[in-house]
Amino acid sequence: MTGTKDKWFYGLLAATAAIFAYLIGYIFLVTPLAQLQAGGLAQKIFYFHVPAAYAMYLCGGVCCIASALYLYRPTDARDAAARAGADCAVVFGALVLGSGPLWAKKAWGVYWTWDPRLTTTLLSVLVFVSVVMLRAFAGNGEAERKFASALGVLGTVTLPIIHYAVVMWGGNHPTVITKTGGGLRHPAMSHALLVGFVAMTLLAGLLLWSRARLSLALSRVARLEEQAIATGQIDY
Amino acid sequence: MTQAQPESASAATLSDPNSRSTEFVAVQGGGETTSAASLLIAAYLLMWGLLFAFVFLSWRRQGRVETRIAELEKAIAAGGGDGSARQ
Repeated sequence: MTGTKDKWFYGLLAATAAIFAYLIGYIFLVTPLAQLQAGGLAQKIFYFHVPAAYAMYLCGGVCCIASALYLYRPTDARDAAARAGADCAVVFGALVLGSGPLWAKKAWGVYWTWDPRLTTTLLSVLVFVSVVMLRAFAGNGEAERKFASALGVLGTVTLPIIHYAVVMWGGNHPTVITKTGGGLRHPAMSHALLVGFVAMTLLAGLLLWSRARLSLALSRVARLEEQAIATGQIDY
Repeated sequence: MTQAQPESASAATLSDPNSRSTEFVAVQGGGETTSAASLLIAAYLLMWGLLFAFVFLSWRRQGRVETRIAELEKAIAAGGGDGSARQ
């Protein structure tokens, strides 16, 4: 069974690597430059920045669902999925918050502004950081797990606020992706973004998988340690 | 000698950060401070650096945890335990 799982994992890894190689080539060789007001060459950050934000939502969603299920009925697998979701949401949040300001420097002239979407994104990432920190430093007990799960659900509640922040409160942040077709005025731009979404979905799947496996292994270590202490095989 | 006075005035202006709101002084080799290309490269390096660091740290930790599991299972087996854990 483990062998079959490994085959799927390495197959997914190969597919992700291939699609990222294609995406990078397509962005730099085919996709045209955007207007200077949008950042010119720096606008090409967009094709990773937006899919990374979407991957953050995806991982936050996994954290929320797994956390809610854990609160309903606790199991190690649900806890591992919630923990993996929070870990990966922080990583993708860091990609968004790292790449966005570099693009903003060219398009807006400043690295950071307290725009509604930027502020709510920072807030959400900080909530997920608190989940990760809680699980890393507060122990692996049932109470800590439940508290982290509740925080994971709370963190995900802030995600729709990010999405609608521009609509509700305005701000500098562009809104090129809309229900009516969006503002990408060249087919190659839309294609690059679509491939970016597919690539980030695969990457999110890979990272979630590997982190959930790590979390399960950590839970197993905790139980084996309890067992070894109880039987006097190791001293604590 | 007649050139010295404006030059020293410019130097004084350049050293005073508040003067930028009232006057502008010509400088040599100013140009654009941040090019789009350097920002783009910085963004891609940052993103890939973060991802690879995360993957590397996860992989290294997974290795350590698996070693620990093997040690514990060996210790429990030596003591007569069954080594099972809830999943």
